[in-house]
Amino acid sequence: MSREHWVVIGNGPAGNAAAVTLRKFVTDARITLIGEENVPEYRCNLLPDFIAGALREEDLFCTPIQRFREMDIKLRLGQKVTDVAFERGELKLAHNEVVRFTGMIIACGSTPSIPERLGMFRDLMLPLKTLGDAKRWIEKLARVDSVFVAGGDLTSLCFTRALLALRKRVMFMLCPDSFWPIPLSSEVRRSCSARLEERGVEVLDCAKIENLTRLSEDSVEVKTDAGSLVVGAVGAFFGLVPNVRFLARTGLDLERGILVDEYLRTCVENVYAAGDCAQVYHPGIRAYWVSIGCPNATEQGRIAAMNLMGGSLSLDVPQENIFEVDGIKVNTSWWMEL
Amino acid sequence: MPGVDVTVEVCGMAGDGTIAAGGMINDAMSHGGFSVLGFDSYPAEIRGFGRCVTRSRVGDREIRALDEETHVLISLNDEESKSRVPVLTRDCVVLFDSNPPVLVEEDRSLVAILDPETRLFPMPFGDLAAAAAGTQRGRNLVALGGFAAVCGADPELFREAIRSKFKAKSQSVLQANLKSFDAGYAYALEKFHDRLLTMFASADLPKGPEKVMLSGNMAIGKAALDAGLKLYFGYPITPATPIMEYLARELPKRGGAVVQMEDEISSIGAVLGASYAGKRAMTATSGPGFALMTELITHGVMAEIPAVILNAQRGGPSTGLPTKTEQSDLHAAVFGGPGDSYRIVIAPTNVTECYYYTVKSFQLAEKYQTPVIVLTDFYLDNRVENVPMPEAREEDVRDGNIYPNVSAGEPYKRYLRTESGISPRSIPGQAGLQFTATGLEHTERGKPDYSARNHMEMSAKRFRKIQGALADLPEPEEYAPDGPLSVGVIGWGSTFGSALEAVLAARERGLRVGALKITSLYPYHEAAIRKFTSRCEEVLIPELNYSGQLISLIGRLCRKEAIPLNLATGEPFPPSLIRKKIEELAEAGAQ
Repeated sequence: MSREHWVVIGNGPAGNAAAVTLRKFVTDARITLIGEENVPEYRCNLLPDFIAGALREEDLFCTPIQRFREMDIKLRLGQKVTDVAFERGELKLAHNEVVRFTGMIIACGSTPSIPERLGMFRDLMLPLKTLGDAKRWIEKLARVDSVFVAGGDLTSLCFTRALLALRKRVMFMLCPDSFWPIPLSSEVRRSCSARLEERGVEVLDCAKIENLTRLSEDSVEVKTDAGSLVVGAVGAFFGLVPNVRFLARTGLDLERGILVDEYLRTCVENVYAAGDCAQVYHPGIRAYWVSIGCPNATEQGRIAAMNLMGGSLSLDVPQENIFEVDGIKVNTSWWMEL
Repeated sequence: MPGVDVTVEVCGMAGDGTIAAGGMINDAMSHGGFSVLGFDSYPAEIRGFGRCVTRSRVGDREIRALDEETHVLISLNDEESKSRVPVLTRDCVVLFDSNPPVLVEEDRSLVAILDPETRLFPMPFGDLAAAAAGTQRGRNLVALGGFAAVCGADPELFREAIRSKFKAKSQSVLQANLKSFDAGYAYALEKFHDRLLTMFASADLPKGPEKVMLSGNMAIGKAALDAGLKLYFGYPITPATPIMEYLARELPKRGGAVVQMEDEISSIGAVLGASYAGKRAMTATSGPGFALMTELITHGVMAEIPAVILNAQRGGPSTGLPTKTEQSDLHAAVFGGPGDSYRIVIAPTNVTECYYYTVKSFQLAEKYQTPVIVLTDFYLDNRVENVPMPEAREEDVRDGNIYPNVSAGEPYKRYLRTESGISPRSIPGQAGLQFTATGLEHTERGKPDYSARNHMEMSAKRFRKIQGALADLPEPEEYAPDGPLSVGVIGWGSTFGSALEAVLAARERGLRVGALKITSLYPYHEAAIRKFTSRCEEVLIPELNYSGQLISLIGRLCRKEAIPLNLATGEPFPPSLIRKKIEELAEAGAQ
């Protein structure tokens, strides 16, 4: 009998939880965890603290690589899956390697979204999703005094707090979509602006970016519907989109993310999805929903792993996915498209 | 600031340009002022088969040996490179082709078996070369460009190395290679901009004399030229062939000649003939060829004819491992052949010594009228080091012959039994000084004589003569603090560099250990060796052979049984292995 080879795509909390759970219950299967970033799993919610200098890089990491060696989990970092042929049980990596599998958990996460109309300014805006992004921000902030933040989600608010700790001048543009599912009514805007301004943030009375111009390496002119200003850097916090483009022609059911049932099963046998790349069917509301945050992702990774091993665990009804930061209510669904 | 000590490997299939890429790394880093020791390993078969590996250790301090671990791997062929994984450090930098022409199965993939801490730098070598220069042949140059960018090496050093490498080619070939290099450099700078390294950029390099890259074989060839070599006779054999190739180019410019003979027997015969006639002559071979030469070498011993024979050892016995290193011809060099055929055997330990000992061998051969065997090995012959250009002094190259006093008026006795055993030697054609040179036992005048007394006296004379050569042979060199030592390591040939590195590393860890370098293997300086071993609690003798050939030669000079450390892997001796053994012995002694 051939040995099982379970592949987990994604090195975030869902992927790591899945791989560790698989190993916990099955000792003789091959388990491969593939991550696109060159570093092991880290706590991305702490990246603003890292930028502010409150944490060292080594404090961000979750599980030492040695632990994966001990658990006999093959950790493949810095490697990108570019295609999957489910019918043949094969995936292809960017460097033209073919890996065969008998079961798969997809936990490939999400990526910062840039609105299409701003796509041409992509190089002038910095997101904050990965450790690499954080390092770029650290480099940039060493040279600039002011930052234009377009956002309103959890990350943008935590990042703003880091900027203030570093005594940077922050100009904030409230993006209505970042507050989803809370409507950005005039009352919410007023309340939110007041909270930010109390902390020294300049909240701009504008709704959209019309143009960005690089004036120098560390100077960008931002033209909004309300006027122009010059800043050192521009932060892009327009939400996240699932990393599922590589699955587009694989036969997997996709909408925004990967459609799975409450057992996190995809439409392909022995293939599961977990974390913020998955759209989970909720039989109670008869609709798909998404949850984010490390605890949710970890739980989904665990459930997907248990079910791949033959279990039948279903996901609990999600909590209300709205956070409050500094008195400001924000959405938790990072990957909505604008 | 931490020092630079980086080992870089290029691995590919024969025909991938692996050896060329490794050579350019050596040249570039040498031009940059670093110390460099490079060594290539390639298959015995012709192009298209087998694995090629170049290893370059680059540092800002003197480098004496290659170590086991590799910090940067440039993979030109992933399947071949898989064999290198055991020597990679966990955080090794690996540059590999991200777009091989066919899909690679997981079980044949290099990346699949690398440690997760490995720093991966995928680059489409072939595609970039094709786009830059219209051909994928420059993929090794693309890889070099990537290496320079990722590791923080000055690209201009590489461009200079490329210009030097392709200076004899057409301008279009040179430009194609430069373009490929630049394409790789630019790609890596852009693609990996957020994780570029500074392995070489921050080095604080010592100022010293200008250095040149020399291989052991080139040093030997240059030494022979500088010593006034007139005739080289040889038959091609790995790893000695580059000496003949070098001399074939250079010796005719100096009025000499290189003759490729039909085999090794005729080669040594011709060397003896030329030397008999008073010309400086030599041959170079390896174990199998040396075995063929032994009968005529002993003829040189008996007839007291100078000859310089270079034995570049490789893995044996028989045809053995043609492109692997070993130190297993020591007994053959010292004892090989019929009869009590004492001869001089010297073994350099690095490229610079390859030069000076080869120069010296001609004088020794002339003065002591005997074959002198210079014993090297594949690792020493084939490796390159950047060293100050060695230059022989006038006194090192002058005629070593001791000629007869023609005014004495007495009948000339070519084999006169003197106190030193050295009999004044005439050159054929000198009036009144004719003699018979024969392989038969003979009288002082050269007449065959098998009597017991004559054979006893002539054997004693020849032995006395060779023992007397100790006065002109290099003394063993100690690298040790004064006083008692817990472990003393004795090394010879290419292994000595590894032994010394190991000893210095152990000393940095607080151990009282020392090293002794022996370059004169026969005759050897007994008193100096005893002096060293007498203050060692344990004596360790690492050798690249299975049986421990030096230990059986000099082991009796240790006050207690010496400890062998033998490797017969075909690979250079890793210093770390010797250091571990030193630590183990020191720890056992301390308990």
